Amino acid sequence: MHLTLDEESTLAGERGHGPQRAMELLVALGRIYDAERLAPITSAHLSGVSYKTIGDGGLDFLEEMSADAKVCVPTTLNPAGMDLERWREMGVDQAFARKQTSIINAYGRMGVQTNCTCTPYITGNAPRLGETVAWAESSALSYVNSVMGARTNREGGPGALAAAILGKTPLYGLHMEENRRATVVIEAEISDDITDFSLLGHAVGQKIGAAVPYFRGIRPDCNGLKTMAAAMAAAGSVAMFHVEGLTPEAGRQQLGGLERIQMGKGDIKRAKDSLTTGKDPDLIALGCPHLSQMEMKMLASLLDGKKKRSDAPEVWFCTSRTVRAWCPKESQVLERFGKVVCDTCMIVAPIEGNHKCTATNSAKACTYLPSLCSQKVVCGSYAELLERIA
Amino acid sequence: MILKGRPISKGKGRGEVLLLDETFSFLGGVDPRTGELSSTTGLLGANLKDRVFAFRMGKGSTVGSYTLLQLKKEGNLPAAIINNRAETIVATGAVMASVPMVDSIDLALLHPGDEVAVDGEAGTVDLFNVKESRVVTSVLTNQGRILALKRSEKVSSCQNMWAGVSGYIEPGETPLQTAMKEVEEETSVHGCRPIRQADPILVRQSDMVWVIHPFLMECPTESITIDWEHTEYRWISPSQVDEHVTVPGFRRVLRSLGL
Repeated sequence: MHLTLDEESTLAGERGHGPQRAMELLVALGRIYDAERLAPITSAHLSGVSYKTIGDGGLDFLEEMSADAKVCVPTTLNPAGMDLERWREMGVDQAFARKQTSIINAYGRMGVQTNCTCTPYITGNAPRLGETVAWAESSALSYVNSVMGARTNREGGPGALAAAILGKTPLYGLHMEENRRATVVIEAEISDDITDFSLLGHAVGQKIGAAVPYFRGIRPDCNGLKTMAAAMAAAGSVAMFHVEGLTPEAGRQQLGGLERIQMGKGDIKRAKDSLTTGKDPDLIALGCPHLSQMEMKMLASLLDGKKKRSDAPEVWFCTSRTVRAWCPKESQVLERFGKVVCDTCMIVAPIEGNHKCTATNSAKACTYLPSLCSQKVVCGSYAELLERIA
Repeated sequence: MILKGRPISKGKGRGEVLLLDETFSFLGGVDPRTGELSSTTGLLGANLKDRVFAFRMGKGSTVGSYTLLQLKKEGNLPAAIINNRAETIVATGAVMASVPMVDSIDLALLHPGDEVAVDGEAGTVDLFNVKESRVVTSVLTNQGRILALKRSEKVSSCQNMWAGVSGYIEPGETPLQTAMKEVEEETSVHGCRPIRQADPILVRQSDMVWVIHPFLMECPTESITIDWEHTEYRWISPSQVDEHVTVPGFRRVLRSLGL
């Protein structure tokens, strides 16, 4: 990989230890994937925030980096292991909270915006068509690639942090036009229920692995796209997809000769059944990915005026602090039925301490809850889950 | 013997090879508190602390990068990492935890327990106790068939096995010079014409690595006269090679020459 004189001197440590470590990381990745050079980025989004996933080793690393490194492009942060304000109500213990706060502070010292969400594209970090960015968080990076037409690889948290510090990323993979082309056509006939888009994403991800699917026959709104992107990335490792007549790069795809896969209501039902491993949820968690303003309004309108069931389990509405601030009235309604939890979600919070069986309408959450949170899972639609609440 | 790979993470590390001929996930594959590999690997209970950990390629969750940081915190890091092919998760973890790492190394050249030194800047792996032997192997071809020679009991290695025309490259000789000389000596044929040369093939045999330079030679005649190094010869089609017990690496030599 070609480095400029400036990049060489960073690699030699002339800008300090943190930038040097960041450059070492980008050079290693560039070398592995035969990148020709580093290209400037306009934004970054980082994973590796929850103390539950990165541990003391991760915290040490962030403390070390934050001694002399700062990000130089707008950079946002993934969900943490707790609501940064209401962690006690979530049952998080003090030792965990202290470590989690240290992690957030380390990111803050580096200039990262510490509004922790997996949907930063809703709340201000919104790259535009054709922009080069470095994003981690599989659901978010697939959304900005596919729906917004910006270009990012499937970054890990540290790689995205290194890119944010240097304002550059190695040019390979999904930064190149040829790797963004559709490789398989999905002809889908499903309902317009948002959970079905999630389950479609799950079924497709499982079937195609890491391909670039082109969808026909569906018309999801941005909430459908968000949950479908998340499920596909979790079940396969899809980082880019097209939807006919909807996503910005769909129009220039050549479909001749591509494999065609049919997906119908039977596939949706099979996906739902296979993800359901439990029966009696003691937690209902909505908002994977984080609830949008539109979803908050929809949920509040469905619940407004209803009475909470006496046997309703604990309920979390997971969203970003920004969306919560945009929805004060809706939050008030939802708080009568559960907690509007910010900065975190059911996957990265240590819920295994207090819960055994979680119900959700997100196929991504259903995929990770058994392994990362030792949960039995109930997969249901919004309608089915709300029936358990009111 | 020094193997050349690609530098991935800088630094130098030396130790005994822990060889896992599988893809590997640091998340779930090792207990950071002890450094012991888990039952998800083929080496349950082996400890990677201070070893040169060689495995095919990383896999699994990106959280695996942080497992390397946890190993560092617990003082259980490997001395170095060797991969056949590096990917993002392990490379990221190696750079973050300052573990020297090299990739593009053929794991078949390593044996468990080898004492090696990894140089993450040069991208090299030094096998201290392994010698290198540079040889040529020429495959002679005539009307679509190839010449197989059975090695005699008087030669120093691979006795009674079938091979091409082989010989040690002497100091000062180019591989092609050796190849031409050996063909004349071992077959008494003059006028063989080299038509293809492939990149060297490395084959590990106990404490030796053979560096084999493959040549394809067009032979103007079928009638050859073998010398003391061989007891028998046959002109066979490439598909008949499998019916013979051949020297190590012979099939790879044929493949490299497009046969």
